[in-house]
Amino acid sequence: MSLIVFPVILYLLSAFLIALLWKKYKKISSIACFSFSVLTLISVILLGRYVFENGKIIYFIGGWEIPIGIALMVDPLSFVFLLVLNFILPIICWFSISYMEKYVKSSYFYILFSLVSAGLNGILISMDFFNIYVFLEISSISSYILVAFGLKTEQLEASLKYTILGFIGSTFILVAIGLILGKTGTLNIADFTSVAVEMNKIQLWFILGLFISGFALKTALFPFHFWLPDAHSLAPSPVSAILSGLFIKITGFYPLIRIVTNIFIMFPESKFIMMALGLASMIFGALMAIDQIDIKRTYAYSSISQIGYCALALGIGGYYGYLGAILHFVFHSLSKSLLFLNSGAIEYKYGTTKIDDLKGLNDKMPYTTATGSIGMFSVAGVPPFGCFWSKIIIIIAAVKSHFYGIAFICVIVSIITLGYFLKLQRKIFYSKVENSEVNENGFNILMPMVLLSIFIFLSGIIFSPNIKFYVDKAVEIMENFSYFQIMEK
Amino acid sequence: MIVYIAISIMFFVGIYGMMVKKNIIKMIIGVNIIGYAVNLFFIVIGYKNGGIPPILISGMGIKEFVEKAVNPLPQALVLTSIVIDLSIICFLASLSIRIYEKYGTFDLEKIRRLKG
Amino acid sequence: MNKGMSEIVKNISKIVSPFIIIFGISIIFYGHLTPGGGFPGGVIIAASFVLLLLAYGREKVLSKLSLYKSDILHDIGAIMFLSVALIGFSGGIFFLNFFDKGKLFSLWSGGNLLFSNIAIGLKIGTSLFLGITLLSMIRIVYKKNKIEFYEKEEDIK
Repeated sequence: MSLIVFPVILYLLSAFLIALLWKKYKKISSIACFSFSVLTLISVILLGRYVFENGKIIYFIGGWEIPIGIALMVDPLSFVFLLVLNFILPIICWFSISYMEKYVKSSYFYILFSLVSAGLNGILISMDFFNIYVFLEISSISSYILVAFGLKTEQLEASLKYTILGFIGSTFILVAIGLILGKTGTLNIADFTSVAVEMNKIQLWFILGLFISGFALKTALFPFHFWLPDAHSLAPSPVSAILSGLFIKITGFYPLIRIVTNIFIMFPESKFIMMALGLASMIFGALMAIDQIDIKRTYAYSSISQIGYCALALGIGGYYGYLGAILHFVFHSLSKSLLFLNSGAIEYKYGTTKIDDLKGLNDKMPYTTATGSIGMFSVAGVPPFGCFWSKIIIIIAAVKSHFYGIAFICVIVSIITLGYFLKLQRKIFYSKVENSEVNENGFNILMPMVLLSIFIFLSGIIFSPNIKFYVDKAVEIMENFSYFQIMEK
Repeated sequence: MIVYIAISIMFFVGIYGMMVKKNIIKMIIGVNIIGYAVNLFFIVIGYKNGGIPPILISGMGIKEFVEKAVNPLPQALVLTSIVIDLSIICFLASLSIRIYEKYGTFDLEKIRRLKG
Repeated sequence: MNKGMSEIVKNISKIVSPFIIIFGISIIFYGHLTPGGGFPGGVIIAASFVLLLLAYGREKVLSKLSLYKSDILHDIGAIMFLSVALIGFSGGIFFLNFFDKGKLFSLWSGGNLLFSNIAIGLKIGTSLFLGITLLSMIRIVYKKNKIEFYEKEEDIK
């Protein structure tokens, strides 16, 4: 039962120990960070047994009960997010053991990496508004510093834009938390939900609007997306993999799920807002990604498009809508991390990521092209890889709720996605090779990518009732649960 | 009531400084002012008319203390928020030094090499 | 340029700064009874060191408290705070306050709070001092778009 605090504690311990003892030794700090992340994965797997026996775990810090103290909670919905997060993080850490060798002060990278991971884990286990805000800030500030890590010219400008826009988002969330404290006098989510049914409707609309704007700025939905292409395309590759695969979903999409389905249950109109934002970012991301010069910028715009799919599915609602949102989150995290690690492997050997300078990678680096192709086909929605299943479920959900136009737009955007990925494959991987003496990548860079691609392949094929049973419980939380029920016990 | 109007005027002054000014240093000062306005808003929420500071002096009963004292919970939240804003300003200041080294200017209209 | 301010300023700051440090320490230690605690106390201790930095110049202050030592103190403060949280596990729950709470209004009546206040005071004091000292060691060479560090390797070690 006290296993619930272990993810946060282990990553904080790793950050502080590396800072104190091993700041000068690059090899030891990288291996220490990797071993702490594997320990966290083991503790989360052990935690899963408790969650599926008892339904949910609620833990009071220091022994103080709910209206007075701070509480932590893990239920099947947040367990799905925890498992995906802690599965991808050791893989990224393994990749960066050999990628970060060319940076001079790479032990600082592992300190910041551990802090980002601690913050992301903390958001998923907390049941208190201000707790969510503090962990959000820990991970956000560490990611602002990580984007500017290489100190090249363009990275500094991208980090400046990202910092200012991220600060505005955090300020909106903080003002909303202040309004909640002023009106109801409590900061606990369960307590607020039971008191909020008696409040004035206009005040609740204002708080809901501030929350959606703040979290949509962290998720990069359509009118709030301006920081994403620069920050994700110019950061070092493991940092891009964390940001685009995990960060925008856990700091932005998970709180939006909680707000729309569990907390503000008296406003069914909030689903139309999510549908509108999701539709706009889907179309915009796909159209902007067609004609880019740089590989990583294409992947960044494609992230905006796929996050639009998730928001659209959340807005449609019903059993199939919620199932599609969760499944699309899981498969897209795996695929997008694989794609960004792949571009890091290409950059490690060639030194550049512009399309015009890379030709004919298939002859010299067969394993890199194989994993890259699997990643691209997976995001585009080709069977039997992962995202095909989630896109089919989203289209079924749209048809069942009589939104035929939206289903048609989903299919068109999917075809456009396949189009620009095929263009990338034709130009980079399968073209004629020029004179170059580049060899295949080493073991430490290849094995994480191979592991991820095997997992995507298998999880697409073994889409069997067993996995569906576990996700079933998570979807039931989104449909039927509201925090009101905790206070009744 | 007047305090809330003053807080919103300070917030808009900070937004004006952040959006309109062309120097990086003036933009950072705008960001700072927004942080001050939000912290002040938090403290004003917990105020009670004619209240005493929430410190228990020996010789005062508990019931009378709870009725008269100002709410201490927002004050603890403001401490955390001040430290978070401090670290963002510190990072932005050192970032602007590095930008001056690479771009040669503090003018925001010339720091625009990324397009599309 | 590195020699500091005039004689009057040097003498007075030499007399005043130990009192500022003791005032900051008392705010940290009595954080559970009077206003204050870890954060303001740490800022006051850092402010006294910055006063010495302004009056005497950088080399003299860094010879007493080098950047290397303050870096280690900073990390010890962080680990101390985490271990205060973990020790609560011995009572069964995370962060449990299991120390014996003595008489009301005395120094020992807070339990856990005393140690966490000291840990945070250490951390904030050293990190503000490090931040201001490092930012003052930079010199922007105008018209050549270069930045230089004063005495790079001596103090950072």
